[in-house]
Amino acid sequence: MTAEEAFAALAEPRRRTMLLLVRDEPRSVNEIAAHFEISQQAVSQHLQVLRDAGLVDVRPDGQRRLYAIAPGGVREVRQFLSELWPERLDRLKGAVESDTRRGR
Amino acid sequence: MAAEPVTAAVHIDAAPEEVYEYFVDAQAMVRWMGQRARLDPRPGGEFAVDVNGSEVRGRFVELDPPHRLVVTWGFSGSDVLAPGTSTVEVHLRPEGSGTIVEIVHRDLPADEWAGHERGWRHFVGRLDTAVAAVGAAPGDRAPR
Repeated sequence: MTAEEAFAALAEPRRRTMLLLVRDEPRSVNEIAAHFEISQQAVSQHLQVLRDAGLVDVRPDGQRRLYAIAPGGVREVRQFLSELWPERLDRLKGAVESDTRRGR
Repeated sequence: MAAEPVTAAVHIDAAPEEVYEYFVDAQAMVRWMGQRARLDPRPGGEFAVDVNGSEVRGRFVELDPPHRLVVTWGFSGSDVLAPGTSTVEVHLRPEGSGTIVEIVHRDLPADEWAGHERGWRHFVGRLDTAVAAVGAAPGDRAPR
């Protein structure tokens, strides 16, 4: 996964809620879907996006599949967050220098 | 328990007086952060920036133009990084014909990512802004 993928995955509010739901204990799709008004299939698709982004893990539990938080992915996101200010400052630099050149 | 501050710095080819404006003037601020800003640059004055639906809320604490300013920083609706809870210090130092800008973002909640509610709420509270910063400026990142 990349941090960009993780952020794209987390841009959707429902997926952030899903992450919170599986934070403390692993849950099945059914349990997760009970918190939403969208179809279980739609919930599964959201979970797949979170999984592809490395934010949740899945393990079989009898007939069910349990989703749980994947802490490793989160650490990468933390790393990304610490790059947030440098990124903003890059934009600040771009804005100030282009404005200054125009004689602002 | 507080986490380590997040720090960042950049050199800008403009005088500190010019750069300072981008932290206290709403129109100048939205050139680099957010879509809307309400800034009342005096101690206790409002510091409000909306970044793609995420509402950064705080107050100006100290203003020492054009050298330094301090604002509190949090997110509307976040109970861990609530409006005004963390602190952003901005230092502007002349360097040649330009300015070194340094950001020190302090008082962030500890990074209790795995299985701790505070850490998670904090994390989620910050995401919108992070996503916005990425989404708002595709290809706008200077190579590093």
